[in-house]
Amino acid sequence: MESEAAAERSEMHPNEDALNAYADGTASAAEAADVERHVASCASCRQTVDDLREILRAASDLDPREPPVRAWSRIERAIAIERGAPLEGARAGDLAYAAAPSGASHASASRITTSRAAIVAWLAAAAAIVLAAVVGLRYAPVQRQDSLSAARGDGTAQAVEAELRQAEAHYENAIKGLEQIASAEQNTLDPRTAATLQKNLAVIDQAISESRAAVRSQPASEPAQQSLIENFKTKIGLLQDTVALINEMRKGNEAGAAQIVSGLKQKGN
Amino acid sequence: MTAAKQRLPSPFPSKGSSEGVDLVARYRAGDADAFETLYRQHAARIYTLACRMAGSPEDGEDLLQEIFLQAHRKLDSFKGDASIGTWLYRLALNHCLDYVRSRQARMSKVTDTLDADTSMEPTARRETPIARIDLDRAIERLPEGCREAFVLHDVEGFDHKEVGALLGIAEGTSKSQVFKARMKLRGFLRGRK
Repeated sequence: MESEAAAERSEMHPNEDALNAYADGTASAAEAADVERHVASCASCRQTVDDLREILRAASDLDPREPPVRAWSRIERAIAIERGAPLEGARAGDLAYAAAPSGASHASASRITTSRAAIVAWLAAAAAIVLAAVVGLRYAPVQRQDSLSAARGDGTAQAVEAELRQAEAHYENAIKGLEQIASAEQNTLDPRTAATLQKNLAVIDQAISESRAAVRSQPASEPAQQSLIENFKTKIGLLQDTVALINEMRKGNEAGAAQIVSGLKQKGN
Repeated sequence: MTAAKQRLPSPFPSKGSSEGVDLVARYRAGDADAFETLYRQHAARIYTLACRMAGSPEDGEDLLQEIFLQAHRKLDSFKGDASIGTWLYRLALNHCLDYVRSRQARMSKVTDTLDADTSMEPTARRETPIARIDLDRAIERLPEGCREAFVLHDVEGFDHKEVGALLGIAEGTSKSQVFKARMKLRGFLRGRK
């Protein structure tokens, strides 16, 4: 009788939990024996177990990912804001250069390197002022969403619109500041890269314009609101890349600049 | 978190402990380069964890920035009981978990209702080993809930009890989420052929 029952069990396909537990070795001895008997005669379940084992093997052997080059620049700038101090390169008596990058024009030859560092620091510090708002904006759509929901609860469409306008103003301020930095220093970029940036910005501007129109026609539409916020975030990301690229080129870090340019091209495709 | 502790030494070199202490000492003495060195040594490991937990490189980059800002703020409290790599990893993991919880709270997504279950789709036999990059991309496509459980269990090496505690779910739920993730990954990876 027992052998008949075992034979019957082995003909039934084990459920996914049993196959998973068998694959990662956590099944009880009895469960494992049942699955083992079954997979010996069932090609489909044997294949599933093989696949699960391969996923387990691959998952434990995944490669680490390298963060983008700009990531450190962003962290460095944010730390500089927290410290309320100029970035490295502006230390050791370079504050005059940091405050006025044009000071490089009257720098002596022996201070060329220092003044270049000071320009980098100025750029970074200028970007930091804008990024101070941007860093804090990561959770902004969520908070905004909560506010929007609360406003909906009150049934006041005007309140929703006011909240969204406020969110837009935050993003537009951040974008304006970044655009100023990017356009003031755009001659640092080679014409092809500048053209790629302009092309990408034009695409994003079009998307912002369309999602803004959608929000205007349907102020209560959550997807339209989310789309507008996402497009703002995309534009901010592109402008952040631009500032990071300018900084890398100023530093003479060709590898870092090339990696950012490659990312920009991919975004444009 | 025994399992994860056992797996931590591999990404962090054994000499990292004394080197880490030196770096922290340099940082405390005002050497601004020390923090950048710390970043260069550990950023990839933390960025990888953040990308996989968040499910996108964009969110992973934001999390990386927040984690290192927090590390910068808290580095003075580093006592040296664990290696600096372990300290950073725990900080990163807690930050990722906070992010996951806050996102789940506001999205209240139910994984079962997300995409169609691909695990039972007829599939072609896969004849080549899973490429790491394919698996990494497939992990990003996993629904919230089962992705975090899978990353913590199958990638980071926590056991189900620990995953349950970290994610605030029952041990059995961790098991079912991990199993569900594996079956979905199987479907994704077979579908790519």
